[in-house]
Amino acid sequence: MKRFLLFLLLLTPFIFASYELFLVQNVKDPIKYIYTISGVTATVILFFTICISLIKKHYNLIKYRRMIGLYGFFYALVHFLNFLVLDAELDVKFLIKETIDKPFIYLGMIAFVILVFMAITSTNRLFRIYQSYHKLIYLSLILITIHFIMAQKSLTLMQFSYIGIIILIGYWKLLQQIIKRNKV
Amino acid sequence: MNYLKKPSWQLDEKEITPKELFDKRRSFIKLGAASIVSSAAIVEALAKENLPIKNLKYNEAVNNNLELNTYEQITSYNNFYEFTTSKERVKYMAHTLDINGWKITIDGLIDKEIEIDFDDLIKKFTLHERIYRFRCVEGWSMVVPWVGIKLSDFIKYVNPDSKAKYIRFETLFDDDMFPDQANMLFPAVEYPYVEGLRMDEAMNDLSILAVGLYGSSMPKQNGAPIRLIVPWKYGFKSIKSIAKISFVEEEPLNTWQKSNPKEYGFYANVNPNVDHPRWSQKRERVLGKFFKQKTLMFNGYEKEVAHLYKGMDLTKYF
Repeated sequence: MKRFLLFLLLLTPFIFASYELFLVQNVKDPIKYIYTISGVTATVILFFTICISLIKKHYNLIKYRRMIGLYGFFYALVHFLNFLVLDAELDVKFLIKETIDKPFIYLGMIAFVILVFMAITSTNRLFRIYQSYHKLIYLSLILITIHFIMAQKSLTLMQFSYIGIIILIGYWKLLQQIIKRNKV
Repeated sequence: MNYLKKPSWQLDEKEITPKELFDKRRSFIKLGAASIVSSAAIVEALAKENLPIKNLKYNEAVNNNLELNTYEQITSYNNFYEFTTSKERVKYMAHTLDINGWKITIDGLIDKEIEIDFDDLIKKFTLHERIYRFRCVEGWSMVVPWVGIKLSDFIKYVNPDSKAKYIRFETLFDDDMFPDQANMLFPAVEYPYVEGLRMDEAMNDLSILAVGLYGSSMPKQNGAPIRLIVPWKYGFKSIKSIAKISFVEEEPLNTWQKSNPKEYGFYANVNPNVDHPRWSQKRERVLGKFFKQKTLMFNGYEKEVAHLYKGMDLTKYF
């Protein structure tokens, strides 16, 4: 039951976006809208996956971590498909040229490749082998953050508070590592 | 053809009342009220509601095959950083802009500084309807039926000194009206917003000072009461809510060039061959459309403006 509710909760942004785009159609710039909603959702979910170990004393979500992480990948995939299908209109040459030319795109692409790798190796069998490589999520998150900041035309309070939250999470994670090490 | 057909699966926007019908109904009500009261003062007061445009009807016949964006689209997606960086929210925030008694200061290389009342200003000039493509550097675009006065008419009227090589525009600075101007720590850009044109660009027949769209007054989110429209340039050149116009000798440093000179130049001509460092400029997304269309050189106004840039390296003067 809890799993199902979580499943629905994580699907909400997708349902909401589909409703706005196809049912009520009050989106003025669909490509931009899909970029924003999928990008923000993916980022929030992926940051949340690394916080799961931080809050496990209060809410133990470790057994749902794979599902949550895969959802993060799902939104990143929507983000990528938006680039491939709607933005590049399946023009692979354009896609490659843009990716090589524009730093904020290749940073996003590297982050996405890491997520693809993690999604593929998230099955029980493969996870046992590749578990240690899943630490790459931190690299991916750093790249995602830079990608997000670089996509902005001007930096406002929102972006600065976003960076603030990331620093806070980083600090918290570090603290957790230190405590863990000292215990051993 | 320079626009994409609406995909067959996309629903019509039938629910939205077309602006023309809405206006017809409105003028009909006004007419009725006027005939009953038949008091000149009241008629004038009623007509003033839709100032500045009283006689100008939106005329679809002049649309040169361009598919217009709806009034709703044009007025619900606006970059107006003085309010917010969110394009969707501007429309709900712009009410704090007070355009009553709006004055425009004209200074620099002219006989003497003048201050013109906006209402007086537009009475002096002929209003024209101009249906233009409008292309933002972020990659979206729309087609808008603007109403405005020719910038060349205005310049001839104020008669600047021949030493004036550039025209510089400035938006109002008033942190009671513009919330982001009151933002001391993280303003989106530096205020007041500044833009400029070379004099020959300003004198081009396409350059207008727009005072309305779809046959009625300029909505606040679109830059009321008066804004610049230079359709062959990216949208950020088309400064909103103009409060000051100066004639100067030196090229003015415009707001976006100041904030990021690598990405935004003075000329800002729409050019599919010169990419912005982050966004490809080859194609554009028309508001309301799911797919993109090709961007045209000088936004499709090559015939009218290309001569202005003859011999200039547009990759350098972007």
